[in-house]
Amino acid sequence: MEKILDRVQSFFLDMPVVEVMNPNVISVRPDRTLRQVKEILRIKRISGVPVVDEDRKILGIVSIEDIIKALEGGYIDGKVQDHMTKKVVCLKTTDTLKEVIETFEKYSYGRFPVVDENERVVGIITKNDVMMALLAKLGLVYLHDERRREVLESPDYFDKSLITGERLDKSGADFFFPIDYYDINLAGIGASKLRQFLLSKGVDPETARRVAIATYEAETNVVIHSGSTGAIYCFVKPDSIFVRVEDTGKGIDNVELAMKEGYSTAPDYVRELGFGAGMGFTNMKRCSDNMMVVSKVGAGVVVEMEFRRYREGKK
Amino acid sequence: MKLSEILKELKAKVLANVQKVEELQFELVAASDLMSEVLAIAKPGVLLITGLCTPQVVRTADVVGIQAVVIVRRETLPSETIEMAQASGIVLAATKMSMFEACGRLYVKGLKPIWEV
Repeated sequence: MEKILDRVQSFFLDMPVVEVMNPNVISVRPDRTLRQVKEILRIKRISGVPVVDEDRKILGIVSIEDIIKALEGGYIDGKVQDHMTKKVVCLKTTDTLKEVIETFEKYSYGRFPVVDENERVVGIITKNDVMMALLAKLGLVYLHDERRREVLESPDYFDKSLITGERLDKSGADFFFPIDYYDINLAGIGASKLRQFLLSKGVDPETARRVAIATYEAETNVVIHSGSTGAIYCFVKPDSIFVRVEDTGKGIDNVELAMKEGYSTAPDYVRELGFGAGMGFTNMKRCSDNMMVVSKVGAGVVVEMEFRRYREGKK
Repeated sequence: MKLSEILKELKAKVLANVQKVEELQFELVAASDLMSEVLAIAKPGVLLITGLCTPQVVRTADVVGIQAVVIVRRETLPSETIEMAQASGIVLAATKMSMFEACGRLYVKGLKPIWEV
């Protein structure tokens, strides 16, 4: 469960509270009677209302429970201000869905008003709002998945070699590695495995090294930029090594610009890990003898590289 | 220069593959915090000095064929970095020294940059 939470965390838990809350808050003034609140709850089919002053500043909250107690205690015509719950647990506009869920877990209340820095009520959140927000977000994820499928099914983009133009039988690859993680700390595993594989196939160490370095860069790009999964395919031929790294992620807007040395769109956390210097494509180009990149926004990136074996002299 | 002498000069503590310290020798040193730069310029047979301590450092060294890495400004390292170095057979050492001092000391001792201008 925790693992799943960790994985979906970036998708859901960082959602700002304003995307989850209901901004149309039904509230009451403190001088109303509980009987009036009871009618509001009944007509609006809600289970509680915040009590606010003329500046919409939060004063208290009245729930169905308070109404039931008032009916039993015979003070249903009493003023809201005398019977409301004054200690209100509020969420702040700066909170995220993570804090919302934690607040629901910590307190047994059915709703939490959302207040701005001046304690003014700007929204309200019930468990139903949380569920609806999650479903809406899931819908987006599903859309993304659908688009991925379309791209995957488009034959000429993903099934032909960019370099040779020939149909590519990827199932016949000598080496396959799925890049299916979202953790930058794992980037490079595929490249490192590929190097071991090539060495085991008797490829000379210098060629294996060039292949590994270029693949490492391509793999890191998938992890940093694609926002999706990808794969490494490698074909070992008698006089060359052919590597294809593809992803089905968001794609590159301007491939030419991305190829420029020093140009980088990497976020800071990636730079802190020693990447994102804008050298990726340059390194790939330098290490390979032939390289092609094709990308379309929303339709992933395909990088193909050819490495001649027993390359003499070229540094 | 023998790796054991280098590590002594840097007052570095070996955290992985200590058994290789006596057998390795280095003439060239690359110092960088940019892994892309290491991929671009480093060659097998150099010693890598870096301030980064993530597992990436070891993976990068492995891909390039670097056999020893000294991490500056640190005494301890994340366990996954150490484990990965252990598994890849790369000597991993850490020193509290700054990058500047570490490089300066080795330069004075006659170790060479990977290219000279």
